[in-house]
Amino acid sequence: MITFHPDENLLAEYAAGSLDWGLSISVKAHLAMCPQCRRQLSKLNMVGAALLNESAPASSDMSANTPSDFDSLMQKIRSLPKQESKGVTEGAKLEDNSELPEIVRKLLPKERIKWRRVSPSLREAQLTTGQDKYEVCLHKISRGAKVAEHDHGGREVTVILQGSFSDEDGTYNVGDFMMREPGQKHRPTAAQNQDCLCLSVVEAPVRLTGVLGKLINPFLSFQPG
Amino acid sequence: MNTQMQDASPNSNPSPKHWSDLLEKVGRSQDEDAFAALHTHFSPLIRGFLQAHGGGMALETSEELVQEVMVKVWLKAHSYDSSKAAASTWIFTLTRNARIDFLRKHARQDAQTDPLTTEDIWDEDDGSQPYIYLHQSRTEKQVAHLLKTLPSEQRQCLQKVYMEGKSHTEIASELELPLGTVKSRVRLGLKRLQATIDVN
Repeated sequence: MITFHPDENLLAEYAAGSLDWGLSISVKAHLAMCPQCRRQLSKLNMVGAALLNESAPASSDMSANTPSDFDSLMQKIRSLPKQESKGVTEGAKLEDNSELPEIVRKLLPKERIKWRRVSPSLREAQLTTGQDKYEVCLHKISRGAKVAEHDHGGREVTVILQGSFSDEDGTYNVGDFMMREPGQKHRPTAAQNQDCLCLSVVEAPVRLTGVLGKLINPFLSFQPG
Repeated sequence: MNTQMQDASPNSNPSPKHWSDLLEKVGRSQDEDAFAALHTHFSPLIRGFLQAHGGGMALETSEELVQEVMVKVWLKAHSYDSSKAAASTWIFTLTRNARIDFLRKHARQDAQTDPLTTEDIWDEDDGSQPYIYLHQSRTEKQVAHLLKTLPSEQRQCLQKVYMEGKSHTEIASELELPLGTVKSRVRLGLKRLQATIDVN
């Protein structure tokens, strides 16, 4: 049961295409798991359509007469190469092949996922997304483990993909979407019965240097619970 | 606004179903006449949408995008399903995606290493749910109708989000308003359009 959703503002920005690429990835991952937000999105798309329908029609600058405009459009279409069929490219499988949202599967590296051990019970795999404003990664917290209290100094979105965790504010289950503003500290604990896998999208911190930046990682250390 | 004409002269203002039928025709049989009619109707709207209020796109850019969108309409019409969305909603999502594509191509971002395309994140089918098929066209009409009753400051914010593709933060700094004000205007606007779903 999903209890935590992106708010209307965030979904509206997503629907309008004005939301940043990195954050949109996290919204898309949530949408894949949340019928309620897909319904909401469908309505938000209608708002876009209503605005489109009542836009002041503007004629083409080059030629006011649409027929020649249409001819050039058809010419362009005929000159296109035959459409290539879109094969589904999937990245490496996680060890347990649970259903992950398609967007996450597409982000997985071709060969195998390179997990980096942040602490004995926390692993992190960076995902390449072609932008550097947000860091996108997978986090895996071992069952029952407690992560050090941390604050990212930037917006942080977490979407739960498998398992669950809880912190001071509540318990989060598969599909839940949480956004934290800078300065909101938290200390997640994974549920006892299963490792917890999350998609994390974190506003990239101002890095000191490349190497040091790698050392100063969001999740600094593990504290036994 | 020429709302009064809506019922009086159906020919000058065809129903949403008219456009959906044409779009399905293009999808089924690559009907060029149907496509020409869609082009005549929608291209000027897409152009107007993208160029909105001077906060929108430059002329050449929007011109390029209008063509881009219409090419997509032609190529993807076979996947259009009128029971899921009105033609205008579907075309809105294509327009939105074309703009995202364009901005991305021109941003200094490493699109080469990007495993995702715009369509991976913004699927034009995304919002389509069997759940709401029944009410779809009624809801679309309702949203369009309520849009005309929106207070101007709410309308302005929604236009900036949708038509100019601006984030709330960008709008706040442009209008010199607190972010919270922009957020609440958008929220109130959406609520008024009955475009928000009550949780539970």
